[in-house]
Amino acid sequence: MTRTERAIGTSLALRVAGLRKQYPKVLAVDGLDLDVARGEVFGLLGPNGAGKTTTLEMIEGLTPPDGGVIEVLGLDWRHHGAEIRARIGVQLQSTSLFNKITPREALDLYGSYYPKCRGSRELLELVQLTDKADAFHVTLSGGQMQRLALALALVNDPELVFLDEPTTGLDPQARRSLWDVVRRIKAEGRTVILTTHYMDEAETLCDRLAIMDHGKVLTAGTPMGLIQELAIPSVVELAFAGAAPAPEAFAATLGQPVARRGDLWEIPTQDPKAMLPALLEAAEAAHIPYQQIHVRRATLEDVFLHLTGRSLRD
Amino acid sequence: MLLIRQFVMEWKLYSRDRVALFWTFAFPMLMLLGFGTIFRAGSTPSLTLVVAGDVPGAQELLAALDKTPVKPLPLAAAEAEARWRKGDTAAQLEAGPAGPRLKVNNYLMAQGQMTAQIVQQASLALQVRQDGHEARFLPVALESPGHGHSENYAAFLLPGLLGMNLLSMGLFSVGMVNVSYREKGKFRRLAVTPLPKWIFLAGQVLHRLTVVFLQAGCMLAVGYFAFGIANQGSFLLLALIMALGSACFMSMGFALSGFARTSEGYAAISNAFFFPMMFLSGVYFTLDSAPRWMQQAVVALPLSPFLKILRAVFNDGTGLAGHGLGLVIVLAWTGGCFLLALKKFSWA
Repeated sequence: MTRTERAIGTSLALRVAGLRKQYPKVLAVDGLDLDVARGEVFGLLGPNGAGKTTTLEMIEGLTPPDGGVIEVLGLDWRHHGAEIRARIGVQLQSTSLFNKITPREALDLYGSYYPKCRGSRELLELVQLTDKADAFHVTLSGGQMQRLALALALVNDPELVFLDEPTTGLDPQARRSLWDVVRRIKAEGRTVILTTHYMDEAETLCDRLAIMDHGKVLTAGTPMGLIQELAIPSVVELAFAGAAPAPEAFAATLGQPVARRGDLWEIPTQDPKAMLPALLEAAEAAHIPYQQIHVRRATLEDVFLHLTGRSLRD
Repeated sequence: MLLIRQFVMEWKLYSRDRVALFWTFAFPMLMLLGFGTIFRAGSTPSLTLVVAGDVPGAQELLAALDKTPVKPLPLAAAEAEARWRKGDTAAQLEAGPAGPRLKVNNYLMAQGQMTAQIVQQASLALQVRQDGHEARFLPVALESPGHGHSENYAAFLLPGLLGMNLLSMGLFSVGMVNVSYREKGKFRRLAVTPLPKWIFLAGQVLHRLTVVFLQAGCMLAVGYFAFGIANQGSFLLLALIMALGSACFMSMGFALSGFARTSEGYAAISNAFFFPMMFLSGVYFTLDSAPRWMQQAVVALPLSPFLKILRAVFNDGTGLAGHGLGLVIVLAWTGGCFLLALKKFSWA
């Protein structure tokens, strides 16, 4: 190993190559490669069942992989398990605590498991739970429980933090407040790896992300880069009053792909200005009962749709 | 240090769980107080004999019941019939074709039969006296098998409840709790920390052990102050037997928890062990009248021999002599369950 190679090796917070996990009936992870640099917020984006959680569990040392390489902070689970555990922080998809433990006690208790730990007062402040420090866990709201779970993941002052679907099931305000905490964690210089199936979350939080489906990485890059790579940077939406009708016949008339999502038809286009008159005319001729028309720039959702032919939320 | 912390935390959280505190501490004490009072020796509960309407020739018989626990309740025929129909009457004296006769409610067998027997005896004694003799009753002494205790059913019940406590602690506070920890992902959360798992389990076991001993202490105190029951054997031996029982039933809890994925599944499995042991091991009553095969089958389960040993020491003040087979059965269950727990217990 040359000097430069070693330098590159250690500047990575995580390196995963050819990772595989076979469950009795399903190949959950199928040759997955990832590189995450130190200090970045990295997102694994994909629909439910894409293999995000299994991937994360293997990286966190909870599930042994069936093949491939995992290097966490340059270390291998098989030889340095204790050291890795001491240097990473993990928030699982659901964190179960005693009903009658208080946030302060939980943080002190979990802190005592580590060689190095941060004070509970500082952590409570970081996740804005100071006023709930001595309330029983069972009395916290969903968002507060998630923030406590996040604080627990930070209790050992970790270099690398894993967050598995940190905002699933939270209301919009609670999600925003959790995003703030994630940004603060990044500002403290930590590397964050999170999974999500919300594209807005990935877009707003992540420096880089990988889009996953069927246990593989389909593409990876910055959110902007991925959108720009898409040859179709704009989307025209026709909104219907109820569920949108089947779009196939109209797509054939228009000579363009039309995707249906909920009460919308989505028509990706390179040049909305040129396309709109033809679209309006065709819709008029076919008596399409749409209510409104919008033009928006493409999002990660469209990138996913383009890559898989499916919507993220299906 | 970590272990002590873990142990202290277990106690702290446990002390906040009022439901657990009630079932662990208050409930067995209430059972002991309640049943011990109801079945206090010498104070047989009073039994009611309904006398339906005018029963010719019953006058002397009713007078003869004066010194027995049976209290006659004279009612008009219609009232007596109404009371019978409501199901409140256990035994009734009524006019028959050839003098007074007894009617016993077959839903209230225990009280009804006892009442009928006492009335029967009084009637026989009366007949003997009418023939010019005096009936003599044989003296009855209440005594335990080891000649230790004679006062109270509570003395029989107390060791039974101590055994029950160990059983429910093992199957529920250990087995059920660990299944739910695994189900809810608490073990997974611990698995991503550097805390050695044995420390977590050791903290749990230590906590349960202290609970068991504290609980036993409370029961002994209630037994002593409410009923004057004291341990007749050595306290060291009693403690050792309790420790063996704890080991046996905790291992059983750990072992069974390895066979269930969900709390519901565990409830089914553990109840299959819990109920036969609770009803058939002589916690509340002996199984003398049960079929022989059942008595023999029950001896193979650990609670029955355990209680025999516990009662030998506590009630009769004897040692372990004569309980070799029982000890072997309990030890075999302990060892077997422990090995099974090592093999089957899983974190994920």
